[in-house]
Parts: sequence; structure tokens; C-alpha cells
Amino acid sequence: MPRARKGAARNKARRRILRSARGYWGTKSRHKQQAKVALTRAGQFAYRDRRARRREFRRLWITRITAACRMRGTRYSRFINGLQNSGIALNRKMLSELAIEDPKSFDRLVEMAEEKTTAQAFAR
Amino acid sequence: MPRQTTFAKPGEIAPSWHLVDADGQVLGRLATRIAVVLMGKHRPEYTPHVDCGDFVIVTNAKGIVLTGRKSEQKHRTHYTGYPGGLRSESYGSLIERQPERVITDAVRRMLPKNRLGRQMLSKLKVYSGNDHPHHAQQPTPLS
Repeated sequence: MPRARKGAARNKARRRILRSARGYWGTKSRHKQQAKVALTRAGQFAYRDRRARRREFRRLWITRITAACRMRGTRYSRFINGLQNSGIALNRKMLSELAIEDPKSFDRLVEMAEEKTTAQAFAR
Repeated sequence: MPRQTTFAKPGEIAPSWHLVDADGQVLGRLATRIAVVLMGKHRPEYTPHVDCGDFVIVTNAKGIVLTGRKSEQKHRTHYTGYPGGLRSESYGSLIERQPERVITDAVRRMLPKNRLGRQMLSKLKVYSGNDHPHHAQQPTPLS
């Protein structure tokens, strides 16, 4: 069995790593070892943030619905409670988009929610 | 309906101007209301990475109210950099000396601590007296 040397394989591995680390800052895009570390971390962040993204967007929609509710003299919890009691199954994403694109429909939704709500009235 | 969540672009939302009379208002209660408007969280298009807030003018800052014994007990401290240079001033005397500063500080601490937060704070205009130089912007009372 002839002796296999590492040279070609090592160069290939280095090229593969540096290629996927393109655009990274400083040595992270130029040195194999730094690039390798950066890529591992990048993968971890990507994995974590794909999950965090869902939570962040839900938070944003809720903030927007809150703003739209307060403009109309109610509040988020009261509005959602009313929707639930009247069996309206629109999700928060669509509610927030409605509040921006179609304020008239949102007005109507607030009215419908107010009829069925069991939450206490606005304190202020 | 679009499949994607809408994001406001910078400059897409035209800011309006609001006017508040601080006379007789409690400091923190007023500051939260101002901070919401400066951040733009009062409109359904609110976008976290874009400054979509409005301008707020506060008049009569010298009439701001602190509840309890805060005007004697609450202090503003700063360090001059010299040994033994920790200076402290009660809020009571600060309100007499620089009432604008009291309101600006309270609001500043409620805003995001980053570049965007500083940009938002620059839209807050506080005056100790009854008048302000922004009549041309036609401010409406803050709801």
C-alpha cells in the first residue's frame, strides 16, 4: 500500500472552509482556524435565531395590535379576549396587517370584540 | 393580504408634532406617555429598527410634580473625575434650576440605549415656560 500524504486533501479542506467564510471580518475570512471557529458559531447563532425569529415577530405583531387598540380606546388583552369569545380565529400576524392596510375592518373587529369581551373596561 | 409582515421604511412615515402641558403632571406618568410617542409605539406601523416616532413639545416643565418625598430624597449624582468629586443634587433643587433636564432625563432612560434611542430623544423639545418656538409645526395636543 503506497503511503498517502495529506497535502492535497488539506488544501482542499482549507479552500472549502475559507469559501464559506467569505465576507467575514479580518482574519475570520483569511485564516483557516479562525474561519472554522467563526463558521461553527455562525451555525449556532443561525439555529438559535431561526427559533427566536418566531418569538420576535409575534412580539412585534402584539406591539402593533396594542397600538391599534389604544387608538380606538381599548387595549390588547380586552380585544383578544373579545375575539376569542366571539370565535374569531384571525391570528396576530393578520390582525396587525389589517390594522395597517385596512383600518376600517379593524374598527369593525374592535366593535365585535367589545360586544363579547369579558375583560374589565379601560382603567384610565 | 401580503404574506410578509409590513415594515416601514425610513422617512416613509411623516412625523407629526404633539404638545403637552407639564404643569401639575406627575413626572413618571408623563414621561411614559411621551416615550411611547417618541418611539412610535402609538401607531400600528411601528417598526423596531426605524425611527417612526413623532415630535413632542413639553411646556411648563417647571410645573412638573414629584409624588411622596422624592423632591428631597431623590438625587441626581455625577462624578467630576477628581478625588472626592461625587456631586449630588436633590430633585427639588434640580427642578428649580433646570426643570427641562428632569423631564429629558426621565424620558431618555425610558428610550432604547442605542443610536436610534438618541435620535428619538432629539425629537423631544422641553421648555420651562409657557411658550415654545415651534408654532410653525402646528402641534396638536398629546392624547
